[in-house]
Amino acid sequence: MPASVLQITDAEFARFRDYFYRRTGIYFEDSKRYFVDKRLLERMRHTEYYSFRSYFTFMRFQASGQEFQQLVNCMTVNETYFMRERYQFECLVEETLNEIVQYPQNKARTLRIWSIPSSTGEEPYSIALSLLEYWPLIEQVDVEIVASDIDTHVLDRCRRGLYSDRSLMHISQDIRDRYFLPKGANQWQLCQDIRDSVLFTQVNLADLAQTREYRHFDIIFCRNLLIYFDEPARRRAAEVFYDALNPGGFIFLGHSESMSRISSLFKVRKFNKALAYQKPLD
Amino acid sequence: MALKRVQTHVQPTSVATADAAQGDQAPDWQTLIAHLQDPQAHTRRWAARELANFVHSVPHLFTQLDRETDLKVQEAIFCSLQSLGGPQVVEGLIARLNSDDAGIRNTVIEILQTLPEEVAPHIQDLLAHTNPDIRIFAIDILQLLAHPCAPEWLLHVLAQEQHPNVLGTAIDRLLELGTPEMLPQLNALQARVAQTPYLKFALDAAIQRIEDTSNAG
Repeated sequence: MPASVLQITDAEFARFRDYFYRRTGIYFEDSKRYFVDKRLLERMRHTEYYSFRSYFTFMRFQASGQEFQQLVNCMTVNETYFMRERYQFECLVEETLNEIVQYPQNKARTLRIWSIPSSTGEEPYSIALSLLEYWPLIEQVDVEIVASDIDTHVLDRCRRGLYSDRSLMHISQDIRDRYFLPKGANQWQLCQDIRDSVLFTQVNLADLAQTREYRHFDIIFCRNLLIYFDEPARRRAAEVFYDALNPGGFIFLGHSESMSRISSLFKVRKFNKALAYQKPLD
Repeated sequence: MALKRVQTHVQPTSVATADAAQGDQAPDWQTLIAHLQDPQAHTRRWAARELANFVHSVPHLFTQLDRETDLKVQEAIFCSLQSLGGPQVVEGLIARLNSDDAGIRNTVIEILQTLPEEVAPHIQDLLAHTNPDIRIFAIDILQLLAHPCAPEWLLHVLAQEQHPNVLGTAIDRLLELGTPEMLPQLNALQARVAQTPYLKFALDAAIQRIEDTSNAG
């Protein structure tokens, strides 16, 4: 069949959808059909498999899993900006932190938050801004924010704190005026005080020795990372997070990710605005 | 009180007081093996996690797995075994498919699904096992096993299997693994399952799905 007339039938879409769901937990509604078809066809052309059947067989049974991972990369949106999935930051300051400070062992103690991967800094800085703007207890409680990434280049960008208009599209003008300085056309720099409030570190989640020292956190944000890991790496990461959290601590994952599919160590907690996974109090 | 400012000497564990069992330095192998039997679950868990760095830990991890009752320690043992991999791990995991603990069995299946090359030499023995439950678990492993022989192994089950529960599991997996090349054998199977309504229903659904995909392709 010529590459130009490739198409995905309803039955093929259903078959792919079932398989992808079983492997990743991501379920594509019928409304996502165009999105899925477009990316599947791109991968079929790229790998030169000109029927769904031959492509699916190749992808499904490839021992290395490389093509499946390529599909995951295509099917997930890798974009970051301030306050992405805002409801999780709201859940942080309206619900989870308030619960954590109630535990007797947490009285008069610094709370610790870990953001991984930090990417270019939008997530850890969104956490900082959320705490300062929307968590009244910040006047009474000390908070440390640690942000980590495997890529040292993005850590340098985090420390510089330079962002485009697009990165700030969900930041109100008022907050922009108070925390950002204009730096030329469409560029804004986060003020020094906020940049100084986040510790940036390089870490590889797969490296036992590196992750050993990441402990005693109350909150972890790890959004849209595990989806790019294979099953063993995902399980290992869940173990690292379990050891990194204090009892009663919470982890937030990306909206398409589920800890329940990776590890039974965490308890699912449904808050008003978001879902989080909790390390049991013991 | 406020957001704390970063200081140059600050480390990720800056406010943490590391205890002896979970120190920031890696303990030696002998210490870790001893910690595997510590009365404190968190010490056993930490030891299990660190033993992923030592390939000769495999027998010790399995021994502890067999007596371990704490879920968080079991999870750490499994994670280390999966990291270590290799024939010894696969053989040990296969031996635990008949565990009385459903959680252990399920985790064993999940891990074996991620080790296609190492599991492949064992699949035919598992599919021919005298215990039908083990044969069902073998089919569960095939469900997500990224190995080119998976459809062929499943076909073999469909041709040879007599136990209705095992056969039913195999037919169910056809919804994902079935290919048009299987249709002649599936059609031949229809007569065998005609008197068992739930098997007939499942087989008809699988054949229909494969035909739909085949006609479209």
